[in-house]
Amino acid sequence: MGLGSRLSDRRTAYLFLLPLLVFISLFIVIPVLGTIWTSLFRDVTYLETAFALFGNYRRLLADASFWQSMKFTLLFVAVCIPLELFLGMVFALILNEKLPGRGVLRAAVLVPWAIPTIVAARTWELIYNYSYGLANWALALFHVASGPVNWLGTPLSSFGALVIADVWKTTPFVTIILLAGLQTIPEQIYEQARVDGTTFHQRFFRITLPILRPVIAVALIFRTIDTIRILDLIYVITGGGPGGSTTSLSLYGYKFFNEGDFGYGSAIAVVVFLMAFVLSITYLRVGGFRGAVE
Amino acid sequence: MSEKLIKRVLLAAGIVFMLIFCLTPFIYMIVVSVSGNPSFLSGSVDFSATLANYRDVITVKSLRFLTYLKNSIVIGGIVAVTVGGIAALSAYAVSRIEFRGRVWVPLAVLAFSMFPQISIVGYLYKLMRAAGLINTYPALILPYIAWTAPLAFYILLSYMMQIPRDFDDAAFVDGAGRFTIFRKIIVPVAMPGIVSAMLLVFIAAFNEFLFALMLTSDHKARTIPVGIALFEGLHGEVPWGYIMAASAIATFPLVVMSLYFQKFVIQDVTRGALKG
Repeated sequence: MGLGSRLSDRRTAYLFLLPLLVFISLFIVIPVLGTIWTSLFRDVTYLETAFALFGNYRRLLADASFWQSMKFTLLFVAVCIPLELFLGMVFALILNEKLPGRGVLRAAVLVPWAIPTIVAARTWELIYNYSYGLANWALALFHVASGPVNWLGTPLSSFGALVIADVWKTTPFVTIILLAGLQTIPEQIYEQARVDGTTFHQRFFRITLPILRPVIAVALIFRTIDTIRILDLIYVITGGGPGGSTTSLSLYGYKFFNEGDFGYGSAIAVVVFLMAFVLSITYLRVGGFRGAVE
Repeated sequence: MSEKLIKRVLLAAGIVFMLIFCLTPFIYMIVVSVSGNPSFLSGSVDFSATLANYRDVITVKSLRFLTYLKNSIVIGGIVAVTVGGIAALSAYAVSRIEFRGRVWVPLAVLAFSMFPQISIVGYLYKLMRAAGLINTYPALILPYIAWTAPLAFYILLSYMMQIPRDFDDAAFVDGAGRFTIFRKIIVPVAMPGIVSAMLLVFIAAFNEFLFALMLTSDHKARTIPVGIALFEGLHGEVPWGYIMAASAIATFPLVVMSLYFQKFVIQDVTRGALKG
């Protein structure tokens, strides 16, 4: 093949990539750069826009509500992710057993994943209803609590309520990833270990867990990136309350956009962006994605 | 012997817990949707089974449910078809053609797809307002294409990497153009992958919330998730029966599609197109 045709082939490649790159540039890259740019201005509807350099960021540092939402977001990640990984592992181990009706069980586990987040959120909102929700009905049925719990009325119970809803919604995703990992482990390894007289416990900690470590790392980082920017579930179930105690960083930023304060909202969005960006870089490193096309 | 027994008991308990955990909210949603009194669990009112919620949600015009549904389906459909084409073209280029930056394209696309929506939506609102597109279909279609394309690109890239190069190299050596090869040879073979990618994209666009919340203001372009999140009764009360009926209607096709499609992906994408 001559040099000319190779050059034109290269041009064809860029042409084929063009639509993808144009859309991503226009509607992802430019808006993110625009958000960073806007965060340097006082940009409020009906007020004259003025350059503020780090004025919005200085305001962040002194804003108790911002730190509250930072604390909530980090705490939410710290509580949800281990629960999801634990439950996801349990479910994946169950689904990896040779059981009759395994396909049906797998379908059942995927139901929470298939339900739109907003629909799931409204269902959980009803479940937590004080006077006729399923949660308090179940507590009364099994005589667990002394009386109905005001789920969405106190900071602690709201936090717990959101954790349960989020773990419910996202555990299927973790289960699928871990199950795919489990299915790559050859059965012979376990056979041999059984012959050697190991217990179930030993086989899990000495064989399964070490082999699954890279898969677990990918699930962990992926879920963390997703949880750190959580908004829709909280928007519906608690609206960030009571008293702002369950306002995530994304929700806090959205509230300023909604009120027309784009400068300060953008500064909050930049913080979320930076947190997710650092995690994404870690993910790309751990995942070893360069090898995929080489 | 005893280890086996313990394992069996644990497994049975695990399965029961798993089923209750995963299915209860879904079943509860269906149950409330067919009740005349959503507060029946308080014990003071009867369950009174009825399909009135479904009938009202579909027929009462002021609830706008069918309009939201139509908006969601049209927007999701246009996005899915467009992204199917865009992603197939770019995945073909990366999987087949040697060019500078080939290794970096997938990495960059993956990195961009991880940007949080909150860091996009504020400026996107300003752009759309400047373009006069707020509360129109394009205000959602355009960003949805950009936002879902990376996912489709990844599915199709791994699909096309598994189609042996020999399969289309012969045609290239014979002098066929890249676009002809793409259209006549690659697209037909990659069709199962393209279809599953489009389904996933449709589901993502159908479920998206923050962009739709910010970029639409009423029923002209509002989609199902925003409609359900902001659903209000005719007198400002929370109409749980309607909300759960609307939720069930919007969810059922998605659950069926997701379950069907999940098999699709696990079987087809992992195995590749050319068997034997």
